[in-house]
Amino acid sequence: MRQILYSKRLAPYLFILPFLVTLAVFWIVPIGRSFVMSFQEVLYGQATFIGTDNYERLWRDRVFWQALYNSMRYMILTIVLLVPIPMVLAAVVNSKLGNPRVKAFFKASLFVPALTSVVVAGIVFRLIFAESDSAMMNQVAEFFGFGPVRWLREDITGLVALLALALWRWSGVNTMYFLAGMQSIPTEYYEAASIDGASKFQQFLHITIPNLKPTIVYVVTISVYGGLAMFLESFMLYAGNSSPNNQGLTVIGYLYRKGIEENDLGFASAVGVVLLVIVMTINLTYLIASGTFKKEAA
Amino acid sequence: MAAQPPTTVRGGSAPQESGTGSTPPDRTTAGPRRLSPRAATWIQSGFLLLIAAIALVPLVAIFIGTFQDGNDVIRRGMTFDVDVSTLSLDNYVLLFTDSGPYFRWFANTLLLTVAQVAGTLLVSSFVAYGFAMYHFKGKTLSFIMVLLLITVPFEMLMLPLYVQVNDMGLADTYLIIVLPFLAAAVTIFFFRQYFLGIPKEILEAGRVDGVTEFGIFFRLVLPISKPAMAAMAILNGMLCWNNFLWPLLVLRTPEKFTLPIGLNTLLTPYGNNYELLIIGAFFSLIPILILFLAFQRFFIEGITAGAVKG
Amino acid sequence: MTTQRTKMSALVAGLAVASLAACSGGGSGEAAPTQNSDGSTNLSMWTFADVHAAYYEEMADQWNDANPEQEIRLDVTVYPYEDMHNKLQLAVNSGEGLPDVVDIEVNKFASFVKGSTPPLVDLTEAAAPYADDVVQARLDLYSKDGKVYGFPTHVGAFVAFYNTELLEGAGIDYTTIETWDDFREAGAEYNAATDKAFGVASTGVNFVEPLITAQLGGEFFDAEGNLQVNSPEVVEALSMEQEMQDAGAISTIPGGSPDSEEAFGAINNGDYAAIVYPAWYTSRFVDYMPDLEGNVAIAPAPVIEGGAAQTIGGGGTGASVPVASPNRDLASDWLAFAKLSPEANVAVWEVLGFDPVNMAVWEDEAVTMNPDNKFNQYFQTNLFDVLNEVKGGIGHLDSFTDPNWPSVDNTFRTVTLNEIFENGVPAQDALDQTQSDLQNELGQ
Repeated sequence: MRQILYSKRLAPYLFILPFLVTLAVFWIVPIGRSFVMSFQEVLYGQATFIGTDNYERLWRDRVFWQALYNSMRYMILTIVLLVPIPMVLAAVVNSKLGNPRVKAFFKASLFVPALTSVVVAGIVFRLIFAESDSAMMNQVAEFFGFGPVRWLREDITGLVALLALALWRWSGVNTMYFLAGMQSIPTEYYEAASIDGASKFQQFLHITIPNLKPTIVYVVTISVYGGLAMFLESFMLYAGNSSPNNQGLTVIGYLYRKGIEENDLGFASAVGVVLLVIVMTINLTYLIASGTFKKEAA
Repeated sequence: MAAQPPTTVRGGSAPQESGTGSTPPDRTTAGPRRLSPRAATWIQSGFLLLIAAIALVPLVAIFIGTFQDGNDVIRRGMTFDVDVSTLSLDNYVLLFTDSGPYFRWFANTLLLTVAQVAGTLLVSSFVAYGFAMYHFKGKTLSFIMVLLLITVPFEMLMLPLYVQVNDMGLADTYLIIVLPFLAAAVTIFFFRQYFLGIPKEILEAGRVDGVTEFGIFFRLVLPISKPAMAAMAILNGMLCWNNFLWPLLVLRTPEKFTLPIGLNTLLTPYGNNYELLIIGAFFSLIPILILFLAFQRFFIEGITAGAVKG
Repeated sequence: MTTQRTKMSALVAGLAVASLAACSGGGSGEAAPTQNSDGSTNLSMWTFADVHAAYYEEMADQWNDANPEQEIRLDVTVYPYEDMHNKLQLAVNSGEGLPDVVDIEVNKFASFVKGSTPPLVDLTEAAAPYADDVVQARLDLYSKDGKVYGFPTHVGAFVAFYNTELLEGAGIDYTTIETWDDFREAGAEYNAATDKAFGVASTGVNFVEPLITAQLGGEFFDAEGNLQVNSPEVVEALSMEQEMQDAGAISTIPGGSPDSEEAFGAINNGDYAAIVYPAWYTSRFVDYMPDLEGNVAIAPAPVIEGGAAQTIGGGGTGASVPVASPNRDLASDWLAFAKLSPEANVAVWEVLGFDPVNMAVWEDEAVTMNPDNKFNQYFQTNLFDVLNEVKGGIGHLDSFTDPNWPSVDNTFRTVTLNEIFENGVPAQDALDQTQSDLQNELGQ
């Protein structure tokens, strides 16, 4: 016992043991199981081997492709919105100008939505984007001279609601990320650039953005994750997993529908395996391209 | 000390300029007009306040909703056009006198959050210490697994895991809600970064004093890791307080439901409980809002912790 | 030398785990029948509607009065619709955490009687004492291979609800509406006169479509169980509705179906004048649309001239007993009493306002014509007059009991009906697409 406690050779393995156990029990085994089940038909615990049937059905299932399209579209658009907008907001706040109290209030107000659970946020946004012409967003639409809009009943407007929810919840957090990133850029860079006669805008392009690269990499990484994992936002907004023409169905929603709602565990496992491959491909490509692996695993 | 990137240029037409004397001549590309620092500050403040106001609209809406008739809110949506004469305290009376299991959900969520945060902090920092302080065979591979786990949505594994949980006889227990997340990849990653910044001399000093490897972690390293603990407590606490999908799958007994699951059960056309839904949703925000207002700095650090290090 | 702090930490961690384990230990004691010291038995039940819970509690009281030696303590939990069925699905798969009695909505029922050993108790015997008086088609709905696995709550015969105040304002007499053609013409006339919607084209429920299909003598599956959602009758049914929509006789509704909160608001507001829906919709009027009291008349649903059936049952809930229940015998007996007995069927009408499956009640004028009844007070006409009028013509759609019906229903509710009524895709095209999508999904 004493030897173990003092052993510098054994200690690291004991330290990371909880992780290895978690990895094995809650990741590797389920993945293996998923893989096996994806070749089976599972009904009330009885499994029958059916070859690649599930995969073939999946390939031909229009709803799967639609769910994948919906998730990808959401992911890309959240990145398109949630990188530049918070970056600009952070730049405004980071300016030496301005009233510190206003800035503090701004930061707090923008951050509070991140504290709101998706369940509550989803309920509120569902009611703000309600069909009724007296609902908030329709009053806004009316103010600008159009509407009433049947927000959640149509594809693009439904997507707008989903993106509005994402923007509302995450702008504050991302702004803080960028703010932290900007504050770690040495002031001398800007001073040097100013002496060389670079304009503020050029400074932003040539100093701020390149120096924010680690932050951008991080924000994009979590946005990829968040985009592909998105389910609850849509589930709450549409008050369930069904939406008109499946416009709000995401890959996780599809997984949930097949596995839980339709009780087709074999097929759902095939979905899970395919999604895992897709996510791993995206992430590995991205992590390697951004150099994260080399840096962190060194 | 803060760097000074340009402030935003709204619509490309309102260039702002810094008020500091040391700044060299301004050369904004956006236009020839120049504003006095005072005017620029006003514009900036107005802009920030406008965005802040928009961000607060949903919260104000749900607050007003707590005074409105629930059915009416669900039917007509939340509106700017609130009829003040219809507002009442009925929902508050309902919440405190006849809200069924609501406060039970509240207590459950609280218990679960505290237990999960405590467990995750302990286990994850423990693991992170191993990654940060030692060199050992298989470290690179193991750590790559940590990085991969950060990027794979847990939801993709929930079905086989759910089947497995049933086999293990752990369905409908709080234990299985917590267990998979004790060694949380993100938290491990963060603690590792933090520990890497701790001088190795502390370890050596401990060893010289005859402290075990684990003693060094618990007695010497953890006590100086409070800032990291605070940050991760907040991050994990929020995730846990709002956790939905996994508990939804695992829990069956209504007495064990957590707030998000319980609130979701109120969202049904056959339940007659929209009053409770709105006010219940609002009240679920209160603990976290109070904590935020009290520890705002820690919150922002906690949430942004992962990104800060470049 | 390993210190106090280490021990403390271990202790705290241990306590946390122990407290979690303790919290989780409490719940579901299984295996042996769950009897209390006073001899009563605890029965747990899941349902997805608050009103059902009230009704079952009333039936538990009645049972206890009549059977003091077999008292039950009913514990009803109300979950949201989707959640409850998902939970049941998960619990059935694992065989654990099941209630003693459960309400299963008809469109989900088929998933629970899949395979050769359904996880539900065969209730045929328990039903025997009441079987003669009960509408057979409704028992068939929850049967498989001649075994009854669930008890119906109501017939759910399709009827039409007309807002007479609005119709009179537009000079329309609802009593002249007999066929769907009449309905279309009246709707077009109303729409032209008022510029408001008349009937409803639902995209979120698949109700009127099976009705018209059955009236046309069609099915969604052929005799061998092969999918045929683009069969001539289904196409005709949807085309008829599409024509009605083009004529202005039916329109989409907020919330996607009349049975949603947004729709209650719209109907209550007078935005729609005619709702063709199962008879149980009476309860929605009384509970959610108080402003229309006295303005709504119930009439037979429109028909096809010379059609196969006059009306069919729509929607419904089958109450079942999971095989895993330790109290399954008592639960089955109580459930038969609670759903099929004459007493129960009086309560179905009086508490829920549904059309009871035990037709003996339909004749009992003390019950049906009771002037104090809140449903009788709300509506201008008496539901049972309408039911007795169509009694001989209540048909049945076999497709409802096909194991693949849940998939069909789901695809119609999310995609097909949206394509037709929202996006204007011609019925034939939308149904052909649905047929090929579903064939792939079902592996046919």
